Amino acid sequence: MKTNTNMKRRELTDLFIKIISSIAASIGIFFLLWIIFTVFQRGFAALSIDFFTKLPTPPGMEGGGLVNAITGTAIITFLATIIGVPVGVLTGIYLSEYGSHSRFGSLVRLVVNLTIGIPSIVVGLFVFALVVIPTGNFSAWAGALAQSIIMLPVIARTSEDMLNLVPNELREASLAIGMPKWRSIVSIIFRYSKSGIMTGVLLAVARISGETAPLLFTVMNSQFWMKSLNEPIANLTVTIYNYAMSPFDDWRQFAWGASLLITMVVLFLNIIARMILKEAK
Amino acid sequence: MSVVSLLHSKASIPEELQKNEACLPLYYEHLNTPPKVSVCGLDFFYGEHQALLDNDIDIAPNKVTAIIGPSGCGKSTHLRVYNRIFELYKDQKAKGKVLLDGENIFSSKINILELRRKVGMIFQKPTPFPMSVFENVAYGLKLHYAISKSEISIKVEEALRRAALWDEVKDMLSKPGMALSGGQQQRLCVARAIAVEPEVLLMDEPTSAIDPVATLKIEELIDSLKQKFTIVIVTHNMQQAARISDFTAFFYKGKIVEFDKTKKIFTNPAQKKTEEYITGRFG
Repeated sequence: MKTNTNMKRRELTDLFIKIISSIAASIGIFFLLWIIFTVFQRGFAALSIDFFTKLPTPPGMEGGGLVNAITGTAIITFLATIIGVPVGVLTGIYLSEYGSHSRFGSLVRLVVNLTIGIPSIVVGLFVFALVVIPTGNFSAWAGALAQSIIMLPVIARTSEDMLNLVPNELREASLAIGMPKWRSIVSIIFRYSKSGIMTGVLLAVARISGETAPLLFTVMNSQFWMKSLNEPIANLTVTIYNYAMSPFDDWRQFAWGASLLITMVVLFLNIIARMILKEAK
Repeated sequence: MSVVSLLHSKASIPEELQKNEACLPLYYEHLNTPPKVSVCGLDFFYGEHQALLDNDIDIAPNKVTAIIGPSGCGKSTHLRVYNRIFELYKDQKAKGKVLLDGENIFSSKINILELRRKVGMIFQKPTPFPMSVFENVAYGLKLHYAISKSEISIKVEEALRRAALWDEVKDMLSKPGMALSGGQQQRLCVARAIAVEPEVLLMDEPTSAIDPVATLKIEELIDSLKQKFTIVIVTHNMQQAARISDFTAFFYKGKIVEFDKTKKIFTNPAQKKTEEYITGRFG
């Protein structure tokens, strides 16, 4: 029996696939590194103590910083997180523990999967029509709401996935000792998948902290310190959008600085998320 | 005399015992106490599929009853009715009666959480909770009893001692339960189950996922536990059934083919099918 007639060809095919997939991976990595490199190169010069502590100055005037935008983004992200995380996690719990086979559950799952794919600018427009127009003004709340709507399906989905990884034996064992179902969910099932859910939450926070579209016509932007959450407030991403397209060099410089800051925060959150997941394993 | 020939012939049961609604006259040939658990005409369905057909069995108190039979014959399904754990799945239905101390567990008067405290369960795979060794045992205690911290410590130690695990874990009570070895995890689950002072212990192939040395420990443990608890164990290991049980039920295709003293089943079975199974001709 002849066995090796095709060996040569097989080895060549193997080599070919290996080479083209390596090239594809290199292209992807190349652009990513280029972006990060550029952001660091251009943005680093903008970072100074003033950048983190001073308010923006009018164009042409030296100095100033983006402290209002930095706090604004932190506040919007925080508000979005406290709205989006509980609702998202509870939706995940419903999908995994209560409605997994019910009709309503399937409907919720479908909607969750659809909303993950909705462009964020559509969410922004929705909140604009729903909140901004009726209340008559842009506000931090409207922005936080838009951001939380973007977060919610992502968190619901990861929570459901993580809860589905809990071995069924553990569900049975906790009920078998006489626990009511809610208690089994809270102290056994949820605890078991805690780190996975935490990871999902962090990645969702990382994602929204860099979103611009939902904020454009919900919080807008501001050059000043905010006085309340019911008014337009400064934030990093819309600032990047405004400053980057301005004709002023120092504003463009700030846009790069803000980009670097956001990139680092997102990077940091991703690293933390990975560490939590690794710890759990 | 075999059980099967006596099924449903309750006339032979003394009248005062009929009140306890024991299903099987056999039981009274050997014991003069009412059964701990008495199963009458139990049918079980997975959706449309019927997995148990008219099961009748009496479980003697403070004895070990083994359930044997080939894979897929309904052993675990039968066991999972006793604490109504199957109700976790919506498509699973049980019909018939299961009496615990004469009271039907399907009665609306039964509090399911209390039923599950009384009827503990050990699973095939060890299932430690995601918490410390101590917390694993203490959790059920806190759930069912209002007791002080110091009492909890005492009870946890007692349960771990009784599960023959104390000496191995006493210095690592705050370590996660999942850090223990498989055999230790299984004994931790036993400790967790007995800590809440159940009356019946259901064991669903408790040694099939652990090594032979750990298996031996669990078997010794079962022997010591029967003084205090009534034990029903599903096993596909016939030697194990022969070693540790007092009574054995042989299941085949959802029916209880034969139920008798273990010695009788393994030395002189009444049914041909039983003999074929224990001599290894099928299964």
